[in-house]
Formats: sequence, C-alpha cells, structure tokens
Amino acid sequence: MITIKELPDENLFTAGHTACPGCGVAMSIRNAIRVLGKDTAVYVPASCGVVFGTTFPYGAWKVPFFHTAFENTGACLTGMQAAFEKKGKKVTVVGFAGDGGTYDIGLQSMSGAAERNDDVLYICLDNEAYMNTGIQRSGGTPFGAWTTTTPVGKHIQGNRRFKKNLGDIVVAHEIPYYATLSIGQPLDFIRKVEKAKNIRGFRFLHMFTPCIPGWKMDPARTVEVTKRAVESGMWTLYEVENGEKRITYKPGKMKSVKDYLMMQGRFRHMSDEDINALQMWVCKKWNLHYKEKGSPDICEIAPPEEHHAVTEEHREMHGP
Amino acid sequence: MAAQTLAEAAVNEGNYAVAFPFFGAERRGAPVLAFTRIDSKKIFSKTQVYNPDCVVVLDDSLLDTIDVVSGLKPEGIAVINSKERPEDIDLGKIINTATVNAISIALEILKAPITNTAILGAFAKATGVVKIESLEESIKRKFGEKLGEKTGERNALAARTAYEKTIIGKSRGIKKLEARKQWLPTYQEMPVGGSLIEGKTDAGLIGPGSFIENKVSGWATYRPLRDREKCVMCLLCWFYCPEGTIHRISNRGDLMTNYDYCKGCGVCANECPVDAIKMVRARV
Repeated sequence: MITIKELPDENLFTAGHTACPGCGVAMSIRNAIRVLGKDTAVYVPASCGVVFGTTFPYGAWKVPFFHTAFENTGACLTGMQAAFEKKGKKVTVVGFAGDGGTYDIGLQSMSGAAERNDDVLYICLDNEAYMNTGIQRSGGTPFGAWTTTTPVGKHIQGNRRFKKNLGDIVVAHEIPYYATLSIGQPLDFIRKVEKAKNIRGFRFLHMFTPCIPGWKMDPARTVEVTKRAVESGMWTLYEVENGEKRITYKPGKMKSVKDYLMMQGRFRHMSDEDINALQMWVCKKWNLHYKEKGSPDICEIAPPEEHHAVTEEHREMHGP
Repeated sequence: MAAQTLAEAAVNEGNYAVAFPFFGAERRGAPVLAFTRIDSKKIFSKTQVYNPDCVVVLDDSLLDTIDVVSGLKPEGIAVINSKERPEDIDLGKIINTATVNAISIALEILKAPITNTAILGAFAKATGVVKIESLEESIKRKFGEKLGEKTGERNALAARTAYEKTIIGKSRGIKKLEARKQWLPTYQEMPVGGSLIEGKTDAGLIGPGSFIENKVSGWATYRPLRDREKCVMCLLCWFYCPEGTIHRISNRGDLMTNYDYCKGCGVCANECPVDAIKMVRARV
C-alpha cells in the first residue's frame, strides 16, 4: 500500500488551473491522478472539471485528455478502452463525471458500461448539485439543501427529496469494485484508488467533494467538512468487492447532523423539524451500514455541541 | 449587486437607471463586469456600456493585465480599489482618478474581503452622481433585506468610510500596456477535431500542461506562511493543496511553496496538525 510519503511529487494535473480556492474536486482529481500515474487516459464530461482543467487551447492535464458531451461518460470510456486494447497499450482509462453526470444525465451510459463490465474506472465527483451551471438540484442533493431550483421560501424551504442511493444502484450491476471515498481520510483514499487501479473490469469510485460557492462555506474548511460528514453519518466509507461489502472506516460515536449542517450556508435556513427529518434519514442509513446483526438500532442524538466554526458574524456575511 | 444598489439609489433620487451584469463563468476569481446607466430621462439603450463616464475597478491586480480605461471618455474618471494614491497609479494615460483602500475598509468593518459596497462610497465621492445618503439608504435596504439588518448597516458604514477616505487626483500615463497575445490559428493550422499536443506558440504554451503559465496569485487575499521549526513533515498540506503550489524537495526533506499559484484558500493552515502554518495578508 502506498502512503502519503510514497506518492510521486510530479504534478500530472498542473498548477495554474482556474478552480475556486479550496475546491474539493481539484483536490480529489489531483490525488487520484497522483496514484493512477502517467499511464492513464482521462475522460471528463461537461462539468467544472472540464472548465477549470481545460480551456481551449490551454490544459492542466499532462495525460491524454478527452471531452465530448454530458451524458456519455460510460460509452466514451468503453470506446477509449477498446481503442487502447486494439493498439495493444496497457492504459488505465478513467472518467471523472460529476454527480449530475452520474446520478441523472449519465446514468444510462454508466449503467451500460457497468453491465458490459468493461475494463474502465469510473469516478463520480459528488458535490451534491449541478455546480458548474450555477447550483441546480441534482439527484445527489440532500434533503433541505438550498439550490437555485429548490429555493427557500415561505412554504417550502430547500430540497424536499432525499439523496438518491447511487451506491446500491451501481452495486446492483454486480461489478467487481465499488467504493466511497472522502478526501478527509487520506490513507483510505489512496488505498481505494490504488486498489481500483489494479482490479480488472468495471470499477466505480464515489468521491465526496465539497463545493465552496455551492455549499456557501469558508474555503479553508473543505477537508474539515468532509470529516464531519463522515462522523455524522451523512457520508459513509465502505467498499463492495465482488458483492461483499466491507466498512472501511467506522466513526466512533454518532455526531449530531446539525453540526455538519451549520457549517454550510445551504443548510442554515433549516427548521428543527426539517433537521429532525434529515437526522432520521441519517439514522436509518447509519444502522444499515454500521449496525451489527442483532444489536439494537442506534439513534441517540446527543444535544448539539456548541459550535465555534460558524460565528454570528460569518452567518451575517454569507447570508442564510 | 453593487451595480443594482447604485441604480436603486439613483432611482430614489428621481432619476432613471438600469443595471445588469455581463454573463460569464459562474466561478470565483474569474474577471467579471457589470454595468449601470443613470439618466434624468428615460433610458432606451439596452446594450453593454462601451464608452463609460466612470470605470470602477474592484481589484487593482487587473490593472497589470487589462487596459481598464480604454473606453473611458477623456473627461471621465476611474475609481480604483488600491492602497496607492492616484498619482502613483499608472493607467497608460493621464486621467482623472480616485483611489480608496476598499479591501482594508472591508476587512476592518465587514471582516471579509468583499469590497463592492465600500467602493460605491468612493464612486459617490468621485462623481457626485448620487448622494452618499441615498446610497447608504439603498445599501441598508438591499443588503438588509437579503442578509439581515445588521449586515445592511455595516455595509452602509463601509460605504460611508470609503466616501470619507477617497483621494481624487490624476493618474500617471507612462506604461504602454500591450494587449495580451492570443493563439489564433488559421483554419489550416487548426488541429482536426480540436485535438492538441503540447506546443509552444508566440502567445505561450498550448496543449497539455499549459495552464502552468497561468499565474493565479492575484486571486489571493491571504497566503500561507510555514514555520519550519514547528513543521513535522507529515505532508498533509502537500496532499490537500488543491493547486499543487507546495513542492517537496526530496534531497533536503523540506517543503517549498510557490506563491505564483496560491489562491489563498487556507486549507493547509486549517488542516495542519501542529499549527505550523498561519495565513497572512497577501498584498498590503
């Protein structure tokens, strides 16, 4: 297993790209490509990844890069892999699609590639809305979140639907490897990318990538927020290898979801009723993933801790 | 938002006004434009403003790359957010200029580097098109409505402070700003299917890895300073940096930060387990 110290220093995704300060997607892409190495070909559909990574005629990638339309990540990866195979080259073909390009628009194409079990690596960068076009709701947007298409009004406040369970949809294709990752757990992150690189067949990595303008938060807290998401159960770290599920990181005691929500402007309007509804959803998910057989359900919500990260001032500055 | 607030203040004084932004990338750090037209008569023109009476520059790092006064009328005025005095600013021609250190005012009063309300105060002082009182009124209303009463008042205070601190003078006109070179291939030179291999043109690098020539340090309000004594070389900052500004010097076992590419997000300082990194103002 590679440790942080053994990662190569070379930047295959160069500096000077135009992502927002503190971008979680840029962080995840950089480190994924560090592990994957230079024998990699990259496909990125319409997303922030293509806007900040390549602006014709400039580009930040130092590996072969390809981009066409939004909805065909799976199909393109299949085609690229077939071409490399015909040429007799051993290349890791990897696609970085956003949550919009995976949950909604690219689902059929991804499903096709998964069904054929093509030898490609599909990476979903989940920032929980269509951020590139200015924050619209996607299938990955959590309950209660503000987006421009789920605004906060007098009667309805934020998104009314819960986050789609993409993991189970992907795993249902009986693929060799599916894993969820978070940049807040570096060793787990590196290990899963490395593992996915060395498995043959359709592999799916699901990365949790905070978006600074979309989540309305302080750029310095990108990593902190992913850690909190895992501690509260909003995001779970596990892998499914040939149908066998394994939890790779189990948080100690369940933290109240409110701590996580109050770090971000997109949740700050939420009423106690809505927070409880989301907490119930998280509890259900928590028990599904972490509960051992026969033990009672866990849903003890400790009173929320006094939270220092978001001051009154900060709240005023960044709005509701 | 500042353009709209200004238009609203003008309307409240009995004038006609329109305000609209330039449609562009929905991303932080990208240069953006917004326009406001104010008249005592009804306004029918709906186009962008090409020859303004006043140019407001919210970030003085733009002065190095863009000829901001190219369309400005000869008797017009440029309002610039800068710590310099007008006579120390070189705009390529001698022109009426007003400066104010809006970023310091914003950091002091709003505790964030958001300068749009402060610069409106400077605009009022420099042009006299709107009164500072009506500007304060419309800031309080517009920002108060959206972000809470307290924030509205604080933004109004920022505008008032900037109004009082604005210096009006003439700019220098020494430097010749060349338009940024662009790679403009003919249709024969254009690669098939838009595919590009690494190349060098008169306008600089193109193709894979060419973003390395794009210096983004101008985005930063803060930059990290590392304390070598405290550092335990855990490499977390190197791992987390979204820009790749931190390099390892393998033979010395040390780290080096290239500030040319640092956008000042502060992730490194926040994640450092021994608090060896602190953020300091980038340009004071």
